[in-house]
Amino acid sequence: MNHQDAIQEMAVERYLLRELSGASLEAFEEHLFECPECAEDLKAGFAFIDGARAELSAPQRVEVPRAKKAAKWTSWFSTPWVLGPALAACLALLCFETFVVQPRMRDQLAQAEAPTILNPLVLANAGARGDSVSEVTAREHRSFVVSLDVPSAGGFAGYLCSLQAPDGTVVWQTSVSPEQARDALLIRVPTDKTKEGLNTFLIQGIPSGGSSSGRLEDLAKYQFQVRIQK
Amino acid sequence: MNFETFDTSYVNKLRAGDGPTEQHFTTYFSELILLKLRPRLRRPEQIEDVKQETFSRALTLIRSESGLRHAERLGPLVNSICNNVLMEQYRSSGRVEALEDEAAERLVETRRDALSLAISADTRELVRNILDDLNARDRELLRAVFLEEQDKDEVCREFGVDRDYLRVLLHRAKGSFREMYTKRMDPKRRRPTGG
Repeated sequence: MNHQDAIQEMAVERYLLRELSGASLEAFEEHLFECPECAEDLKAGFAFIDGARAELSAPQRVEVPRAKKAAKWTSWFSTPWVLGPALAACLALLCFETFVVQPRMRDQLAQAEAPTILNPLVLANAGARGDSVSEVTAREHRSFVVSLDVPSAGGFAGYLCSLQAPDGTVVWQTSVSPEQARDALLIRVPTDKTKEGLNTFLIQGIPSGGSSSGRLEDLAKYQFQVRIQK
Repeated sequence: MNFETFDTSYVNKLRAGDGPTEQHFTTYFSELILLKLRPRLRRPEQIEDVKQETFSRALTLIRSESGLRHAERLGPLVNSICNNVLMEQYRSSGRVEALEDEAAERLVETRRDALSLAISADTRELVRNILDDLNARDRELLRAVFLEEQDKDEVCREFGVDRDYLRVLLHRAKGSFREMYTKRMDPKRRRPTGG
């Protein structure tokens, strides 16, 4: 082996990696003892490897990458395309509460606290008037009062009074004792609870303990038109 | 290390027992013999015994009547003698022929050998700089091969490289180290002149 062969074959590196054996090993070692360049290169190689062993085995400061936190199911919320609109919606809601709802509530509270002459819509005799339907016009976010009689059929433990919206859904319900039923019921109805159109108060009798059917019995329906002024 | 050709003049000085020449001779070939024997002999005393016996026989041969006919073959001669001594070491039960030649006593290497020199603080600093310049994968590749001494084929498979990549990596690191080391160290062990 000559020096050129040693260079081309990377003989020094192969020797350092212990890849040489047999005849190639003998040839390189013979060349090593006569070629100072390769000898110097080999010495540098061993010195580097020994130094690398010492350095790589020494405890060193290692920056441990932060472990990524496991994504929670709420992590989607922190994305910009979700968080931005959510914050905008919160701001809008806050403004609505501050500039619309709270003034309205203050007005309603002021109304409730002030003495007011009631002008109830009397429904007591509506069923007896045939096809005529009472009509009430009330301002938005205000209320109106209705007066109605509970039919004096006896034998009921109590009565159920329900307010039905024009679409038939029950928007309000309360129980009435026999004592309360002796006089006309005065009911304050917030316009927010009703819808424009034909509303119905339904009076049902609650059977007493001795009743065999146990079912509510329809006693009266009072219909009235609601108009809401904005 | 400064190198000069082992010419006739050099060999003649050795034959004559010139002290500085002998010192240079033993220093130069001690490192090579050490590197040669490290992977072959486990115990340091075995390495030292083989080394001393090699020098003893080499000088005996050089100073014999037949001598060394071709001065440029001094290096291969030392290598060949070392191989023979090594084979004898393998065959024997650990006994080494007693050194009776007085000259052999002068050949005891009293300074630190190449291994000790190789892991000095300066060396480690140079190596550290070189390792820091490598990417993490190459550093781990070197760690697996030279520190953990894993099977090289398996390491190459694991890192997705081939043997050529490993050799080139070592070649570049060694070259950087040698360049930096040479710049730091002053010229030492000049060959004796005159006489």
